[in-house]
Amino acid sequence: MVNDGAPDIEVVARVLGGDGEAFGILIRRYEPGLLRFATRMLGNPDAAADAVAESLVRAYRHLAQCRDPGRLRSWLYRITGNRCRSHLARRHTNDISLSDVPPPALADGSDTWAVLERGEQVALVERALASLPAEKREAFVLKHVEGMSYEEMATVTGARIPTLKMRVHRAREALLAALEEVVR
Amino acid sequence: MSPIDPRLQEALDLERDPGDLPVDLREAYARFNAATQMLKATPPVSVAARVMAEIRQIPPPVHSEGPARRLIHWLGRPRAVTVRLRPVWTLALAAGLAAVLVLQWPSGGPTPGVAQGIANFVGQFPGARSVEVVGSFNDWSRGTLHLNDDDGDGIWHAKAVLPAGQHEYMFVVDGERWVPDPLAGRYVDDGFGAGQQNSLLIVRPVSAQP
Repeated sequence: MVNDGAPDIEVVARVLGGDGEAFGILIRRYEPGLLRFATRMLGNPDAAADAVAESLVRAYRHLAQCRDPGRLRSWLYRITGNRCRSHLARRHTNDISLSDVPPPALADGSDTWAVLERGEQVALVERALASLPAEKREAFVLKHVEGMSYEEMATVTGARIPTLKMRVHRAREALLAALEEVVR
Repeated sequence: MSPIDPRLQEALDLERDPGDLPVDLREAYARFNAATQMLKATPPVSVAARVMAEIRQIPPPVHSEGPARRLIHWLGRPRAVTVRLRPVWTLALAAGLAAVLVLQWPSGGPTPGVAQGIANFVGQFPGARSVEVVGSFNDWSRGTLHLNDDDGDGIWHAKAVLPAGQHEYMFVVDGERWVPDPLAGRYVDDGFGAGQQNSLLIVRPVSAQP
């Protein structure tokens, strides 16, 4: 029995050895990040959940094709990113519909004004992100939300590092321009 | 959207200490980080149960047979001949070798089936300790088809009986480096995005051999 803290390479070997239940360890380990990534890519939590579920099943089916189980995270993000791109392509546009971006989530905290302000900011940031072309949005999310290095991003996306840097820089410009509206 | 100060980009790329930024850029840096924090909330849903339920309905991503049994199974199949040759500088030699292999396949071996062929894998990997082939024909399983370099010249060879048709494959060098065949001539996307490609092999059935 492989434990929850076992390295990816050990868990993968276990699954390939016939212990399909061990795949649950990998799901628990990477599901939160994959869901966050897909949600930011698609702007719709339901579509994101579908994309991640399909990606994980696909990863399971083709686990023997994972060329470097030590970099399983990158492989899973690559599959999920591909799934998200397919989903966006079916919409005939790479952009997220702004109607998919949820409205500010307002809580009934004691400091209503502060909560409202933050909710507005969240909505504004999400809309700024949603307005970016998919490839810039992907680069931004992998860098600043998932905290990947440019090297890992290159593995995930197949794009060259200078290209990824350019996409991230452009995405930052858009985001900061949107934030200026908040503080103006 | 207007370009932002390169110093701010450098700080966000961790190439510059944000403490060295002028006050206005430091404020923009803080605003940016606050904004990205807003995007880091993890969605309060889980697909784990759904995924596990689905994968319990499909076969595990391994063969029920062990590698040795699969190899024995291959060797027991009827065989036909198709020759694949890799390094450019050995093409002429390999062409001759192909003819020899086709004509001199051991007569005591299994009889080729009409819907099968023999793939002859040849790759140049000087200094490699091991080379094997994985592909769609063996579910990308390692340890079933090893190449040999008996004379130590860096040219590795292996033959396998394969069903006629199209197969994707890769070389695995030293047990860890996955290498597409540079001279396969045909490639297909590996299906996982990122533009990585598998080599493509087309095996002709024995019935199509001249």
